[in-house]
Amino acid sequence: MRGKLLHAIGLAAIVVFTLFPFLWMVMASFKTQADILASPPVWFFTPTLQNYVDIFADTKVSGSILNSLIVATLSTLLSVTLATPAAFALARYDFRGKSDLWFWFISNRMTSPIVLALPVYLLAMYMNLLDTHLVLILIYLTFNIPIVVWIVTDQFKSIPPELEQAARLDGADQFTIFRKIYLPLGAPGIAVSAIFSFIFSWNELLYALVLTRRNVQTAPVVATSFMSGYELPWGKIMATGTVIVLPVTIFALIVSRHMVRGLTMGATK
Amino acid sequence: MTFLRLDNIKKSYGDASVIKGVSFTATKGEFVVFVGPSGCGKSTLLRMIAGLEDVSEGQLYIDGKDVTYEEPAKREVSMVFQSYALYPHMNVFENMAFGLRMAKRPEAEIKAQVMEAARILQLEALLERKPRALSGGQRQRVAIGRSIVRHPKLFLFDEPLSNLDAELRSQMRVEIAKLHRSLGATMVYVTHDQVEAMTLADRIVVLRAGLVEQIGSPTELYDKPANTFVAGFIGSPKMNFINARVASAMGSSLLLEHPSFAGGKLDADTAAASRAKVGDTVIVGMRPEHLTVGTAQPVLSLTLDFAESLGGSTQLYARSEGEPVIVLASGRPELKPGDTLNLGIDPRHIYLFNAAGLAL
Repeated sequence: MRGKLLHAIGLAAIVVFTLFPFLWMVMASFKTQADILASPPVWFFTPTLQNYVDIFADTKVSGSILNSLIVATLSTLLSVTLATPAAFALARYDFRGKSDLWFWFISNRMTSPIVLALPVYLLAMYMNLLDTHLVLILIYLTFNIPIVVWIVTDQFKSIPPELEQAARLDGADQFTIFRKIYLPLGAPGIAVSAIFSFIFSWNELLYALVLTRRNVQTAPVVATSFMSGYELPWGKIMATGTVIVLPVTIFALIVSRHMVRGLTMGATK
Repeated sequence: MTFLRLDNIKKSYGDASVIKGVSFTATKGEFVVFVGPSGCGKSTLLRMIAGLEDVSEGQLYIDGKDVTYEEPAKREVSMVFQSYALYPHMNVFENMAFGLRMAKRPEAEIKAQVMEAARILQLEALLERKPRALSGGQRQRVAIGRSIVRHPKLFLFDEPLSNLDAELRSQMRVEIAKLHRSLGATMVYVTHDQVEAMTLADRIVVLRAGLVEQIGSPTELYDKPANTFVAGFIGSPKMNFINARVASAMGSSLLLEHPSFAGGKLDADTAAASRAKVGDTVIVGMRPEHLTVGTAQPVLSLTLDFAESLGGSTQLYARSEGEPVIVLASGRPELKPGDTLNLGIDPRHIYLFNAAGLAL
C-alpha cells in the first residue's frame, strides 16, 4: 500500500515536471506581455486571443506551418517506404556486408549535425536546392531512414520465421510475404518509427535555419525569428510554440493506435 | 507405386554434416513417421522435403518429378509446424484461405474449400476468431485445416503435437489418424515420441545422427529391431540390456553367462548361435512387458530395488550390474524392496545383439 502511494507520488512528480513547461507555454500564449513579465508570476489572468490574432495576421506563421507539414509528412512517408524493405532484408536475409551496412545505418547518427551544416549548405547551393522543400526532405531522410531501419528491423526480427516459411509453402512470393505478413505484424514498430521521424522532421531547427530563406521556412525557424530586435514578444513566441506542438501531438495520438503490444500473439504455441 | 523418393539425400552446414545420406521411398497414401532423438536430423530432413532447406547432395522426387531444386510452393506439399505458425493478424477463415488466395482461385471455390475443411475439423464456429482467441488444440486444428484446403500431394507434419498437453495430444493423434484414413493422402510425420510413431505409422524411419537406423512397420521394428538403438528406442519402458559372455555355442544353442541370470547362465536357442564364438560378448535384450514375475523356471534372478504402482500395473526396478532391469508387471504384486525377483520370459522374446549392437 505504501509502495503504491510512493509509486503514485513519483509518477505524479514526473508528469508535473514534464508537463509544466507545456502548461506554461500554453498559459503564456493567452497572456498579455505585461502578465507574462509580471513578477511574481500571475496564475489567474484575463485570457486574451490577441497573440493568436497577431501571429495569424501575417501569413508567415501559417505558411511556415504548411511548409513544416509538407516537409515532415513527405520525409516520414518516404523514410517508411524506403526503410521498411531495407529492414525486411536486414532482418531475414544473410548477405555479404550485412553487419557493415547495419553499422553504417547507426553511424549516420553519430556525427553531430553542426559538423555537416556547412558542407551540406555548399552542396545545396551548388545544386540550386537552397530554400526548397526537397532539400529539407532529403536531409531529413538521412536522419530518419536509420531510425526507421533500426526500429523496424528489430520488430521484424521478432516475427517468428515459421510464419514466413508457412507463407512460402502457401505459395507467397517475397513481396507478398513482406506486404501481407511483415508489414501488418510490424505495424507497432513502424508506427513508433514514423512518430519519431515526424517529430524529428517537425522540430528540426538547425538545417531548416541554414538551408531555407523566405519561401520554405519551417515553423521552428519562424518561432525563433521573433527573437530578433530589441524586445522579445513572448506572447507571440508562445502562441507559435503552441500551434507548432499541436499537429505533432495529434499525429502521435493517431499513430499510437497501432502501437499495441502482443500483435504476434497466437502465432505460435 | 513410389510416390516419394529420397535418393541418398545429404545436408551439411559448412563442415558439419547433419544428414549423411538418407534413402527411402514411400508409396501413395502411406503414413511415414520419422522418429529419433533430438538432433538426429529428422526435422531437417522434413524441411528438405518441404523445400525450406536446400539439399546439399542427392535427389528428391515427389510423384515421379525431380523436385530437388524446386521452389517450396511448386512442390505442392503442405506442412504443419510444431509452433503452428498461424498468421496472427488473420482470422481462422483467412488463415485457411491464404494459400488458395495465393493460387488465385475464385472466391466461391475458396469459400467452399475452407468450409469443407472447417467441417472436417469442427472449426465452423471459430472462423471469425483470431488465433490468439483459440486454445492450443484449436490452433492445431486450424494449422491442419490450412494444410488440407489446398489438397497437396504430400502432407508434412513437424512434431505437431509436442506443444499440447497429454490428453489433447492423444485426442489429436486419433484425429490425425482419422484424417489420414479419410483423405487417403501421403503423409510424412516427424516426432520424437515413439508412441505417436507406433500408433500412426504405416512405416517408421528410425534416424540417429543423420543416418537411417532402420525402416519398417511398427511391429517389425518392435519384433525385429536391427540393433540395440532401435530396440531401445521403440517400446516403453525401454528394453533391458544385459551384456553377457558366451560360455559355449553348439548348433542352435548358445549358453550365456552373467551374474543376473538365474544360476548365472542362460540357454538361448537361436539360429544365429553359430555366429557367436566362446568368449564373445552378446547383448541380451528383454522387454519389460515380456518379463513375468514369480515363474517356475526363472531366467533372471534379481533383487527388487523399488516399485512404482501405475494403478493397473506396476513398474519394478531390479538391481543389476550397470543399468537397473525394469519389469512391467500387471496388477500389484506384493513385493518389498530387497525381495528376490524370479523373472521368466518366453524364449521367443529374447533379443540377441553382438558386441557392436547389431542383431544376431
